Amino acid sequence: MPATPSPRGTRRGSPQLRLRVGFVVIAMLLSVFGARLVQLQGLDPNSYAQMAAAEGLRTIDLPAARGDILDRNGEPLADSVDGLMIIADPRLTAPHAADLAAFLYKKLDIDYADTLAKLREHEVDGTEIRFEYIARRVPSTIATEVLAEADKRGYKGLTTERDPLRDYPAGDVGSNLVGFMGTDEPLAGFERTFNKQLSGTDGSARYEVGGGNRIPLGESTQTAPVDGQDLKTTIDLDLQWYTQRVLRQTVEDAGAESGFAIVMDTRSGGLLAVADDPTYDANDPTDSPKADLGSRALQDVYEPGSVEKVLTVSSLIDLGLVSPRTKIVVPPQLNREDRTIHDWFPHGTIPLTLAGVIAKSSNIGTVLAADKFKQGQLDAYLRQFGLGQRTDIGVRGETPGLLPPGNTWTHQTQDRIAFGQSLSVNGVQMAAAVNTIANGGVRISPNVIEGSATTDDGKVVGTDHTTRKRVVSAKAARETMLMMERVIDPDVGVAPGAAVPGYRVAGKTGTAQRVGAECGCYDGTDTVSFAGFAPADNPRFTIYVVVQNPATGGGGSVAGPAFAKIMSYALRRYAVPPTGTQPSRLPVDW
Amino acid sequence: MSTPAFQVRSRIPRFAEDAIERARLTVVPNRRTTTSRAPFLALVSMVLLGGVVGLLLFNTSMQQASFATTALEQQSTRLAAREQGLAMDLDRLRDPQRIAAAAQRLGMVQACSPAFLQLGTGKVTGAPCADSTPLRIYERAPVKPASLNPKPIIKHVPAPPSTTNSTANGTTANSSGDTATANAGRAAGDGKKKNQ
Repeated sequence: MPATPSPRGTRRGSPQLRLRVGFVVIAMLLSVFGARLVQLQGLDPNSYAQMAAAEGLRTIDLPAARGDILDRNGEPLADSVDGLMIIADPRLTAPHAADLAAFLYKKLDIDYADTLAKLREHEVDGTEIRFEYIARRVPSTIATEVLAEADKRGYKGLTTERDPLRDYPAGDVGSNLVGFMGTDEPLAGFERTFNKQLSGTDGSARYEVGGGNRIPLGESTQTAPVDGQDLKTTIDLDLQWYTQRVLRQTVEDAGAESGFAIVMDTRSGGLLAVADDPTYDANDPTDSPKADLGSRALQDVYEPGSVEKVLTVSSLIDLGLVSPRTKIVVPPQLNREDRTIHDWFPHGTIPLTLAGVIAKSSNIGTVLAADKFKQGQLDAYLRQFGLGQRTDIGVRGETPGLLPPGNTWTHQTQDRIAFGQSLSVNGVQMAAAVNTIANGGVRISPNVIEGSATTDDGKVVGTDHTTRKRVVSAKAARETMLMMERVIDPDVGVAPGAAVPGYRVAGKTGTAQRVGAECGCYDGTDTVSFAGFAPADNPRFTIYVVVQNPATGGGGSVAGPAFAKIMSYALRRYAVPPTGTQPSRLPVDW
Repeated sequence: MSTPAFQVRSRIPRFAEDAIERARLTVVPNRRTTTSRAPFLALVSMVLLGGVVGLLLFNTSMQQASFATTALEQQSTRLAAREQGLAMDLDRLRDPQRIAAAAQRLGMVQACSPAFLQLGTGKVTGAPCADSTPLRIYERAPVKPASLNPKPIIKHVPAPPSTTNSTANGTTANSSGDTATANAGRAAGDGKKKNQ
């Protein structure tokens, strides 16, 4: 426009031109921004939003603490501890592998050579390895200490991750009932049966993080975890331990295959100890054969033998058919149809009272007394005593035992069942049946869970659901008890070894032929057992010891002394004084 | 400005007063406020500055709280882990097996049968005594199978014919024992011979 260009105008150029150029530049820039905006918002908005979120947003699991399994006094049989796994990045650890391996070996007690190999090999067949487990389930205090120490010494490449740890402080004590955990899930015992109650529900938290700290006004949501509930059992940790040790000594010394022992609180039906042998260490279940991981006391069937005579004679007395003084002529052997019944000891024709039949454990005498039953009566009594049906105390895989239906019984079946053969039971069933006599004829359902708990199958179990049912009269129970006391008598009985000095003890031995797994017949091996209670006139504990296939000895000599030791300990532990009354003097012969 | 109105009002009849009043309305001159802008500006800037500084302080304190939270959370986790670790140690120490082993090392044994001391009367019920068969708290060592644990092979070697009677007697007497004893016996025999 102006004809005379000024020195400044020349340098700046024409304002219009400048404006135009400026607008063009601005328009170009804006269109680039616009295009980018369309690209970001229109074409693929989600992936960018996610990338932005992933930058600082952190989601973590808030693990629920697993409930403990406790004994009756609240001592843990199983508890959970915060654990960590230690992970190595071999690429970083390789330069100082030898020193680090020695350090870890000292601190964590892990295999040196194995660890060294893991720390050193950071390349296999051209693939780079950046992850090796060094140790799993290390208590987090130890793991953190080790890592801090390693850091201080300048060893790089170790990290930790959460790895919950289940600890069984008493090792093998009660392990057959408590069970154990696998890597991720429970594998056996209460751990598995009550998993829902024990495990609880995991929670989670999402929050934004900057520089390792939570951003105060950033996104933050949290679902709190619901911790698992404890499971309280009726087991007494110390008594359980003692029972297991006595049982192991008994099984080892008798050269036996296996055994179990049950201690039951006579009045409440709570199981104070359920010991199995051989057992396993719950902290190392893989070290033991699979056959030892269950509970033989509930999962194995066996024929109870003479211990069952207690149920037969108490039923007979309850029906008013016999009394402890009933006179029975016992012949040397008894021919019944095509079979002959023998006693365990050779004898001529002897005159025994019913008390004598029990004290000397005569099969023939029991069969002769049982002849007084009408068809079906013994079957009905045995079912009321709880035989032939599961106790349902919350132990998985329990066997109901095998009691043939009453209408299929022949005379020979009744003869054999009357002295404890031709029927099978599980240990707790039988202990509860003998406890019925101890408890004055009222059967209390056995329990191993204190209070109430629901199994994963929805079954409700526990002491809150104890049932009591009269099976035989108080008089019948008392008279049976008086006869059982004669079993312990050193002069007339067969099991003086079961005596607890100073106390009145009632009990019954059992030596039964055993059915072999292979042939399905009596294979010449025995089950020896002893069941009893004390103090006889005011019982507190019913104890049942069963030993399978001992090399030598019978119920009185193998299981009897074990019974006496466990009973003595239980009476001492629970401070049960002797009743101070005179023991039974029932005549055994006439 | 109100003076003429008074004059008019005095001269005209009272009934027209209102009308005249209306007719005489004049525009009020725009009154200019002369207050300074400075206080207002100062106030606004104060509010602005206060807001910004306050927000900054608030944010800082939130961040501080966040740091504190993180630190305290870490401490809480550490302490919880420590507590669990200690509880675990305690449970291990309370393990009946450990206690029994410690007790047995001290020479303690199980009692044979319960005995009671009645505190009121000082009377003792039952006879306290030690159990005759001690409780074995460890598993018995497994018995080696015969193939791994062969019986020692014992060969009975007849004594070499010797010149003196005394030596011969010495070796024969020990031939049923193991080799070491036999040698010892023989040495003793030799010694005897020398003494003789």
